[in-house]
Amino acid sequence: MSLHELVIAAARRDPEALAVDGPAGRLRYGELDRQADVLAHRLAAAGVGPGDRVIVWGGKTPAIIVAMQAVLRLGAAYVPANANTPPGRTALMARNCAARAVCAAGDLFGRLADDLGPGTARVNLDEPLDAGDPPEPVDHPVAPDDLAYVLYTSGSTGTPKGVCITHRNARAFVDWTVAELAATPADRFANHASFTFDLSVLDLYAAFAVGATVCPIPAELAYAPHELVALLHDERITVWYSVPSALVLMMRDGGLLNTPAPDHLRAVLFAGEPMPIAYVRKLAAWTRARLLNLYGPTETNVCTFHEVVPGDLRRDRPVPIGRATCGDKVWAARIDGAVAGPGEEGELMVDGPTVMHGYWGRPPQRGSYPTGDVVRVLADGSFDYVGRNDHMVKVRGYRVELGEVETVLGSHPDVAQVAVVTAGEGLDQRLIAFVVPAPGSTAGVIALKAHSSRRLAPYMIPDEVHFRAELPRTANGKVDRSALVGTTNSQVPEERTP
Amino acid sequence: MTQPLSQEQVTANLIAFVRERFLSGDPQGELTETTPLLEWGILNSLNTATLIGYVREELGTAIPLSKVTATTFRDVRSISAMLYEAGEAASA
Repeated sequence: MSLHELVIAAARRDPEALAVDGPAGRLRYGELDRQADVLAHRLAAAGVGPGDRVIVWGGKTPAIIVAMQAVLRLGAAYVPANANTPPGRTALMARNCAARAVCAAGDLFGRLADDLGPGTARVNLDEPLDAGDPPEPVDHPVAPDDLAYVLYTSGSTGTPKGVCITHRNARAFVDWTVAELAATPADRFANHASFTFDLSVLDLYAAFAVGATVCPIPAELAYAPHELVALLHDERITVWYSVPSALVLMMRDGGLLNTPAPDHLRAVLFAGEPMPIAYVRKLAAWTRARLLNLYGPTETNVCTFHEVVPGDLRRDRPVPIGRATCGDKVWAARIDGAVAGPGEEGELMVDGPTVMHGYWGRPPQRGSYPTGDVVRVLADGSFDYVGRNDHMVKVRGYRVELGEVETVLGSHPDVAQVAVVTAGEGLDQRLIAFVVPAPGSTAGVIALKAHSSRRLAPYMIPDEVHFRAELPRTANGKVDRSALVGTTNSQVPEERTP
Repeated sequence: MTQPLSQEQVTANLIAFVRERFLSGDPQGELTETTPLLEWGILNSLNTATLIGYVREELGTAIPLSKVTATTFRDVRSISAMLYEAGEAASA
C-alpha cells in the first residue's frame, strides 16, 4: 500500500474523525480527503503528473497537509519548504529538483521568486477547496520504489542535498511505528518537528495509518517552554515525538515536572541527538509512559531504536540507540572493514527497506548506507552512539555541515575570512560565525544573516556573528577553532579593521 | 494597574531587546521595524520562545497561541501591532 492511501482508507472508515487538530486548525478525515482530491485536480490541470516533484511551501497548517496529500495522489513527490524559508532558497530547491509546480500558502504566494525554473507552475493554496460537487477521487497507482517526498538537508560542498524517499521507504517506517506503538484511532500525536524534518513523518503518517489525530505545533512555538507544556495537556497528547532539546526545555523552563503526568500520555519518543541521561531519569520518574530513543539519519529514517528500561537510568551516559528496526539490517564496520564485535567501535552501516533511493540528481544509493556515525557494540549486540567521523555537527537535532555555512558566508563580498564553530551543549548550543571583514566593508550582523538566509536552510543561519580583526591560528597555520570557541563565553569586544 | 505602554514604546522596547539579545548589539545599527526577522534568521524557533518570554515577563502581555504565527512574527512592526491589539482587547 502506498503512503497516500492511508488517508483515503481512514476517510472511508470514519470521515468525521479528526485528522488534524490543535492551534493551527482542525480538519476531519472526510474534509482532508475531499480537499486533497479538489487540489489534486487543480494540480493536474497545472501540469503535475506521475513522477513529478512539487514544492509545498508554507507553515504547519491543514492547507499544507492537504497539499502534500494532493501531490501524492497524482503519483508525484512533494518537497516541503518551511514558511520562513526565503523565496530565493525555495526557488533554488525548485530549480534543483526541477519541480513541476510550487504550491504556496498565505502571503508566500505573492512572494514567489521569478526564477523558479522553466515551466514551473504556481499554485495558490489559499484558494478555497470546498466549493462544488464532491470531486472525482484521485488515487494514481504508484510502485513501491516511486518517490513519495524529497527532504533537503545540509551538504558539505555548499549545495543542499535532496534526500529521495520512496513509498517503500516511508511505509517500512510508518508500519513499524504503528505496530510498535499499537496505535489506535484514539491516539493524538503531537507533531513538534517541521515538515522538512523526517521526524514529522512519524507524527503525520502513523496517525493517518490508524485514523488517529495529529496536532502540528507551529514552528514559532517549537521552543516556547510554557506553551509546549500547555499544549501537551490541553491537546490530550498520547504520543509525543521530538528532539531531546524540546523535552529538556519543557522540563527545565516550562514546569513540565511540576504537575503530575497526564494519564493520556502513553509514549514519549525522542531522536536527532543524545538526550542527557539526567533528563531521561527525570522523565522516567515523572511519567509511566513508554520512553523510546529512536536513531537514524534522514537517509535511512529510523533504523535502530531502544526502549528505556529501569537499568538504563543507572548509566552515566545517554541510553543506547539500540538495535535494528523497520526491517533493516545494521552493523558497525571497523576501520579495516570487518564487522565490529562487542566492545568494539565502528561506523554504523544500514541496509534495508528504509534506506533512501538516493540524493536527487545523483546516482542511486547502492548497497548499504554508511551513516558517518561511530558506534560501540554492546554485549547484547545493540549499539551506543559515540560521535561523528567528520565535520558535521548537530544543532538541536538538525544536521549542519560547518563547511557549507563557511562557504556561503565566504561568498559575501564584504567577508575576507570566516570560521564557523558551535559552542555550548544541548539547548544552549549555538552556531557562531567569526568574520574578518574585507577592507572598507560595511556589512553588519543583519546583512550577513540575510545573505545566509538566501542560500542556507533556516537552521543553518548562524545564531551569532562576531567580527574580528584576525582569526587565531594553530602552529601549522590552520584556523584555531578551539581558541575561537574559548572566546565565546567571555566578553571579547567586536573588532573591525578601520 | 500600570499605564499600558503606547505602541511606540512597545516597538522601541522590542527593537532594543532584539538588538541586545540576538544581534550582538547590532553594531552597524541595521535593525529597523520592517527587517524580516524570521526570514533572515534573526528569530528562529529557539529564540522566538525567548522573545515570547520577554513579552510575558517584561511587557506583561501573554501572547495567545493562535497569534504565534509567521505572519505576526515577521518583523518588529507586526509583533508590536499584534501586542497592541492584544492589550486593547484585554483592557476593553
